[in-house]
Amino acid sequence: MSRKALASNQLTAVAWLRLLFVATLAVAVVLTPGFLSAPSLLTLLTTVSFVGCVAVGMTFITLSGNIMSFSLGATVAACAVTFVAVLNAAGPLAGIVAALTVGGLLSGAQGAIIGGLRANPIIVSIAALALIQGGLNFITGNATTNANPGAGHEVLRGKLLGLPIEFVVLLILVVLGQSILTWTTFGRHIYFVGSGVRAAEAVGLRVGWIVTGAYFWAGLFSAVAGVLLGLRYNQANMEYGFGYDYDAIAAILVGGTAIQGGQGSVFRTFAGVIFIATIQVLLLLHGFRQEWQYLIAGIIVLLVVMLQTTGRRHV
Amino acid sequence: MAAPLLSATSLTKRFGAVHALRGVSLDLANGEIRAICGENGAGKSTLVKLLMGLYAPDSGTVAIDSAEVRIQGPQHAHRLGLALVAQELSLAPHLSVLDNIWLGSEEVPLFHRRAELRRRAAAALEKLNLDLDLDEPVYRLEVGQRQLVEIARLLTRDARILILDEPTATLSDVEIERLFGVLRSLRAEGRSVIYITHRLGEVFEICDSVTVLRNGEHIATSAVSAITRDTLIGDMLGRAIAEIYPPKRVSVHHGGLMVDSLRIPGAVERLSFEAPRGKITALAGQIGSGTTEVARALAGLVHNATGTVSFGDHPVPLGSAYSSRRAGIMFVSEDRAADGLFHRSVLENLVASDVGRFKHSGLLSWQRMRAGAEKLAELVGVDKGRLGADAFNLSGGNQQKVLFGRVSGAPNPGALIMNEPTRGVDVGARAEIYGLMRDFCRQGYALLMTSSDLEEVVGMADNVITLYRGQMISRYEDEDIDITKILSDITHPLSPAERAA
Repeated sequence: MSRKALASNQLTAVAWLRLLFVATLAVAVVLTPGFLSAPSLLTLLTTVSFVGCVAVGMTFITLSGNIMSFSLGATVAACAVTFVAVLNAAGPLAGIVAALTVGGLLSGAQGAIIGGLRANPIIVSIAALALIQGGLNFITGNATTNANPGAGHEVLRGKLLGLPIEFVVLLILVVLGQSILTWTTFGRHIYFVGSGVRAAEAVGLRVGWIVTGAYFWAGLFSAVAGVLLGLRYNQANMEYGFGYDYDAIAAILVGGTAIQGGQGSVFRTFAGVIFIATIQVLLLLHGFRQEWQYLIAGIIVLLVVMLQTTGRRHV
Repeated sequence: MAAPLLSATSLTKRFGAVHALRGVSLDLANGEIRAICGENGAGKSTLVKLLMGLYAPDSGTVAIDSAEVRIQGPQHAHRLGLALVAQELSLAPHLSVLDNIWLGSEEVPLFHRRAELRRRAAAALEKLNLDLDLDEPVYRLEVGQRQLVEIARLLTRDARILILDEPTATLSDVEIERLFGVLRSLRAEGRSVIYITHRLGEVFEICDSVTVLRNGEHIATSAVSAITRDTLIGDMLGRAIAEIYPPKRVSVHHGGLMVDSLRIPGAVERLSFEAPRGKITALAGQIGSGTTEVARALAGLVHNATGTVSFGDHPVPLGSAYSSRRAGIMFVSEDRAADGLFHRSVLENLVASDVGRFKHSGLLSWQRMRAGAEKLAELVGVDKGRLGADAFNLSGGNQQKVLFGRVSGAPNPGALIMNEPTRGVDVGARAEIYGLMRDFCRQGYALLMTSSDLEEVVGMADNVITLYRGQMISRYEDEDIDITKILSDITHPLSPAERAA
């Protein structure tokens, strides 16, 4: 046997465990009355889409070696409020452009600080969280902004090909995100910076710009979540997006993207999003309350991280 | 003959399907310094880890004083009288020298007997002739000094069998001499040393006997007096190599890398020199002389470096790796794990400096990337079948070849800056890397290397610049390059007046 065969043996152990997980889940899904009904599935697909967009964006940050951002949830809220406000004033297209701009700038600015000054990404994002929330509170006065009826956004609601439009948007973002990572120089550079920031600097990559870019895209994707929320609920307030950062990083880890960066993909994140959402819906249908969902999500993340670390130690 | 102090018999260790060691036996007498040589992957480190109890052998036994022992772990190994200075530094950077020396000791250094421990630590440093403040935090020390602190730690352990794994890789020649002095006095006390090294010169200088491993197997054990350098190399490689350094055939090209009044705070003052195209220029100096810093500064990796640098008539702004790269200056680091390789496939590592080259209608083409990487792999002699492997799983020699492959892809010959191009690289791969360096010269690259291996400097360089404490001492060319002159420059430079006389 070669060394490769040895590696694939170890891989099989993890793969088996994954398969076992998925199989158990599939059985649970089938055995749970009401899960496979159309309305239930549609609700599931709609709810995962909001967090899913943020998770796709967060994947860029994780891959670039900056672990996670605690401010993407607040960015979602800021973008949702921006979207609804501009929608009322200037129509849906302007609203979308404004929300994307706000999201890209808020997150990109953090990326510039983190990449340019090598500041600690966690601390910067926590500071940004406070700033964004404070700013939002200042501007909105903690009130809900409502969309005017007939502002022209109703056309963006409903279904496409039988799927909720939110989910279609998520699918587009997943493909777009992975395409950027796989088929652009910038995307490869994110992997390089994430898998060896000093090596990236030594070969002359512009680390500051690359990290800024990763955060910029994370902001754009989060802004999409904000727009989708505004469209869905016809309103926006600063509570929107609360906890999305946590759900997103949970999905990224469950999907198998390495927390230290440089290894992973948006497709993995997507699988993680679906996995966690399925468990949450299952719990809901079996009558567990919300706090149970948090507990279970926490346990899953812990398990995955422990599995990843022990796997690495044996290699 | 007296019974051996340490006797390992038929040690075998497998990792899955890989035989790291196959039935290796080793007898070590009291007062013997035993070298262990072999290429990367020969099983040297595995042997050390078995002896320190970090791995358990699959089969085979270890006996100390003829009593069989099962070594449970490093602490147990210490109690049995074994101590190790590992290849990787194992110091806690924010603790003081004193704390680091006693770190991991079972002599409970917390509150009581502090003065006693201080005295013994100071004595160990004294033996190494190391003038350090015991309360200095370790992160303020230079790499070589840190290595010596590790050796001081070993000396305080009162071990009967000392294992040193490549102890001199980061030491200057003067420091190596001191280490050898200490080893000789330990030998006189009847202690035994297992000395793992890539530097064959050291085998003949300090060791009594040498064991050669190859592919996990024991090849030969002989008294140093009974062998020659060539037979030793032949044993290590399984074949004889005629000459490791390729002939110096200077190719004539115009221009090069011009450095004027380079200043790096704390390292180098007003250094001016030239590294012409088609030639290999070596910066020779000990650790702390500034050679490494000069190389890093020219690669744009030192932010507060100042001076005027130009390459091929284009000015090179200092302090930005991106600008240096744009000007055609490429860097091959000696610290491959830290600032050389990416934790990605060999393929991606090979094309990393310029992936943008491999585009098809605006998007990256993996097909072209693979074709490009295959070409580079072939050029530098990396197995094309391993393009998909994580670069960190390659041997040191192959990793270094990947880094050379990465800088080969440039459309125009540039300047190549190499820090210790063969550190941690085995003899076989070294010859290949030297061949590659000559290829670069032929293509018109300007090569600048730093090296603490003087034999390598003399064997490879067309120009040698000697540095001592951040000052340029002299410059040698072609036939003037002489190992004794260089050694004298970098250890005890003569003043200009003495030189004239």
